[in-house]
Amino acid sequence: MEQPSPSGGSPELSDSEQSEESSVYSGLEDSGSDSECSGNGEEEEEEEEEEEEEAPGSPSGPQAQAPGKRKTLEDDSPLEGKQDLVVHDEYEEDSSDEEDIRNTVGNIPMEWYQDFPHVGYDLDGKKIYKPLRSKDELDLFLEKMENPEYWRTVQDGQTGAEVPLSEEQLELIRRLQRGNFGDVGFDPYEPAVDFFSHEVRIHPVTNRPADKRSFIPSLVEKEKVSKLVHAIKMGWIQPRKPKENVPTFYDLWAREDPNSVLGRHKMHVPAPKIPLPGHAESYNPPPEFLLSPEEQLAWEQQDPAERRPSFIPRKFRSLRAVPAYSRFIHERFERCLDLYLCPRQRRMRVNVDPEDLIPKLPRPRDLQPFPTTQALIYRGHSSLVRTLSVSPSGQWLVSGSDDGTVRFWEVSTARCLRSIPVGSVVRSVAWNPNPSICLVAVALDEQVLLVNPGLGDRLLVAATDQLLDSWEAPEEERIQPVRWIPAGPEERGKGIRLLVQHDKPVTQVTWHGKGDYWASVVRNPGGRQVLIHQSSRRWSQNPFRKSPGMIQCVRFHPLRPYFLVASQRSVRVYNLLRQELTRKLQSNCQWISSMAVHPGGDNVICGSYDSKLAWFDLDLSTRPYRLLRHHGRAVRAVAFHRRFPLFASGSDDGSVIVCHGMVYSDLLQNALLVPLKVLRGHAARLQLGVLDVAFHPQQPWLFSAGADGTLRLYA
Amino acid sequence: MAQLTARFRTENRRFVVEDVPFSVPATSETTDLSQLINKLLAAAHADHKYVEFDFLINGQFLRLPLVTHMEMENISTEEVVEIEYVEKYMAPQPEECIFHDDWISSVQATEEWILTGCYDQTARIWSVEGKSIMTIAGHTEVVKDVAWVKQDSLSCLLLSASMDQTVLLWEWNMEKNKVKALHCCRGHAGSVESVAVDCTRTKFCSGSWDKMLKIWSAVPTDEEDEMEEAANRPRKKQKTEQLGLTRTPLATLSGHIEAISSVLWSDAEEICSASWDHTIKIWDAETGDLKSTLTGNKVFNSVSYSPLCRRLASGSTDRHIRLWDPRSKDGSLVLLSLTSHTGWVTSVKWSPTHEHQLISGSLDNIVKLWDTRSCKAPLYDLAAHEDKVLCVDWTEAGLLLSGGADNKLYCYRYPATASDVGA
Repeated sequence: MEQPSPSGGSPELSDSEQSEESSVYSGLEDSGSDSECSGNGEEEEEEEEEEEEEAPGSPSGPQAQAPGKRKTLEDDSPLEGKQDLVVHDEYEEDSSDEEDIRNTVGNIPMEWYQDFPHVGYDLDGKKIYKPLRSKDELDLFLEKMENPEYWRTVQDGQTGAEVPLSEEQLELIRRLQRGNFGDVGFDPYEPAVDFFSHEVRIHPVTNRPADKRSFIPSLVEKEKVSKLVHAIKMGWIQPRKPKENVPTFYDLWAREDPNSVLGRHKMHVPAPKIPLPGHAESYNPPPEFLLSPEEQLAWEQQDPAERRPSFIPRKFRSLRAVPAYSRFIHERFERCLDLYLCPRQRRMRVNVDPEDLIPKLPRPRDLQPFPTTQALIYRGHSSLVRTLSVSPSGQWLVSGSDDGTVRFWEVSTARCLRSIPVGSVVRSVAWNPNPSICLVAVALDEQVLLVNPGLGDRLLVAATDQLLDSWEAPEEERIQPVRWIPAGPEERGKGIRLLVQHDKPVTQVTWHGKGDYWASVVRNPGGRQVLIHQSSRRWSQNPFRKSPGMIQCVRFHPLRPYFLVASQRSVRVYNLLRQELTRKLQSNCQWISSMAVHPGGDNVICGSYDSKLAWFDLDLSTRPYRLLRHHGRAVRAVAFHRRFPLFASGSDDGSVIVCHGMVYSDLLQNALLVPLKVLRGHAARLQLGVLDVAFHPQQPWLFSAGADGTLRLYA
Repeated sequence: MAQLTARFRTENRRFVVEDVPFSVPATSETTDLSQLINKLLAAAHADHKYVEFDFLINGQFLRLPLVTHMEMENISTEEVVEIEYVEKYMAPQPEECIFHDDWISSVQATEEWILTGCYDQTARIWSVEGKSIMTIAGHTEVVKDVAWVKQDSLSCLLLSASMDQTVLLWEWNMEKNKVKALHCCRGHAGSVESVAVDCTRTKFCSGSWDKMLKIWSAVPTDEEDEMEEAANRPRKKQKTEQLGLTRTPLATLSGHIEAISSVLWSDAEEICSASWDHTIKIWDAETGDLKSTLTGNKVFNSVSYSPLCRRLASGSTDRHIRLWDPRSKDGSLVLLSLTSHTGWVTSVKWSPTHEHQLISGSLDNIVKLWDTRSCKAPLYDLAAHEDKVLCVDWTEAGLLLSGGADNKLYCYRYPATASDVGA
């Protein structure tokens, strides 16, 4: 603002020249001079008015304008002569504006003299001493009280003299204290006038003549343009695509996890569909829906939760006559209670296909061969057949019956080749498993007969007889629990070779795999129940000092010197060499009836009178690996096949169930048990069905002895 | 579809009809077609007598309504179907019922005589009329198989195999009606289940429960073969003398791992043996080598070979009769199974005269007469037995024999019709 516009300066030059005497300030200040000479310059009134508007409170004191004046003078040399008149004492302080001539130290920080007694030097080079601080507090107070100028007296830093501040100085201080500008005439809120405006001026800003280059085409630009043209031609520069004026929308849920949305949908529990109201709900039901008084009485006596229907159908004359629902508040309250108390957590029901829970078993058809149909019936016994045994060659079958006979059958034709009357109920028969010995042990009453059936190879038959006859009595008679009696000539004619007389009824005989030792079970609760015999030495011994409960069945281990003893609830495995109990198997059955050992030796099955079949894996546990409950009634007999992975169980319900029992040599793989076939045929008699089962040693055939006096072959 | 077009054809020149397509009802059965042919023949020949016919479509007997049969066999009913017809085989006529004292284990018949092995430890000779000629006692155990060796005008040689591990070679003097045990063939260590005589009538083989197949000489000689076992006791020696001279096998063929149930000579130098180890093995009798093995999956009870069609038929411990080609090297290839029995098939026998026919006996008490061109249903069921059928035989004279556990031997006359002799 202070700087006069050059454009405006030149026209005013003439103005100021015209009214020279009118104002001492003219030419210095545009606004001021203009306002003064408004009356003179009529033709330029409009312009002046504009300027007046632009600079309203311009009048100010001559001192305030001093710096601006100076500048103007320096710039505008043509005005110099005129200015001389006005500022006469201009050079009084010409040397330095700030310098105090009384002290010659110059414009230095006065702290430098802090530790000195003087504050500087005067023009004569003499020290200017600091004023003595002789005044005490009382003097200061008195001075303060008495001197009216005290409050405006300040110490001059340069000279140390006390100087009272003038009115103007005070005013300046006050203004500064108030935060105003020091200059009174300065208007901080003057409207800003842009030096360059949007209006096109007819005059140039400068007087400088236009350059030559502004008249000739620029080579640089030409080069740039040609580059651009080339780029456009080559397609390097594409015209900007026109902006599509399509409103854009935001997908609010784009960032959301779709699974969570699905989960939310899954969590939706649809309200149960309420059946549509029927005639009974009608306000005017047909008469057959109305309850009779007796029915109503019965309805009322029922538990409210069990009432069907849950309301009493009632008849009204019209819909208008239907009263308000009396239980409305009650039910609404209960509904709210339900909503309030209902568990918010969703319990995830495991959605399992029941088919998947069934263990994946191979189809029986893939586990061929196994006995499927009844092939032969061995008829001949007149009473129930308790026991049977197959010869190791598989050609013969021996059976013992309640009719007091032991019969020998040809397997392939069901021909009874020999029948030995023994006179009492045959409890157990066992064919010697050694193929080179032809001997059958028959248990009846208190005797065990060793019978040579005379079937098979003549040489073997003769050798067996020779083996038995070659026994020579030891010198000293040993005390034995049984008596070995050679058969008399009549019995010998029937095939009986030896009689082993026990003191109590014998229930079971079983051979060791080598065919020399055999064991018998005696029904003698509390006493000795198991005896082990050696037929070649005619020697018997009682292996147990104490009997472990009531012994049901004993078996020799097929491979190791173990002896398995089944009592009512458990099976004990004894080591015969070390004479100790190796293992005790808990059967989880009430009463074990029979037992069979897998030819591999590591698995045992037990049948029980409570119609269960327990499969033990001796390597696995003393508990049954699997408990099969296939039979409807007591299981009487169980058997393993020697070659095929088959086992069978015969039951009082007259059926024999054949199962696949594959045992793997891999110890980590459990046995695979698959029930294969239910074989029926035996008629139940006296609550008894199948009493014994045995497999053919070579073929997948199964023999069963039944209470109906027959033996059957399933193949 | 109500009508089918059929063209009829026959091998028998007596019954030729015109070779033109006929339209026949789709549901017509054998009797309807038979009447149709008879009408045509009656129209052609005035002296025609009614003849029952049987019809074959693509070598299969028609047993069902025509359209059903064609659907099952996948024969197009759109085209003209060619039906071959033959004179219907007459049902076997029951002739004799010969009572035995015990189960009949085996039977073999010639033109005049019937030889049976019996469970009462004897073999018996009967005339075909059912008259008991001779009872041969000598075995100490059940006789399991019998065989004729040679027949002269005066004497006959015959074999009996028994559970007492011996095969006895007997000479039957017909004039004096006396039998004499010529040789006692010892060597088996189990019951001898089957014997078979070769076509030269000089050798026979026997299969036993001891898994061995032994070849013996069937020629009677005067000196006894030397016995290896020195420990011959006097008692045994005496017994041996009674039963004739001891004979030892010419060769022993071992290879079966279970009992041998049936043996036969399929050729002059080829023995075929069926065993409980589920195999049929074919041996070279000269060298004793195993030629091939046919493997089944059941125990074989019986096997029979027909030189006419060169097939083996086997009966096993299931309901099926299986036909095998013994020449196939890969083995275990069942050509056909005939299924109608409900029990184990104990015995099969090919017809000696007809290449398609065989009979089978089963534990279901029924003897069935089969034609291999109709494998689903037999030609005839001979349901006379009251207990298990254990043996069947078929003579060239057309005599069907079956014996079983009901102690009866049934004879049936099965006249070969004039038409099928050449067929």
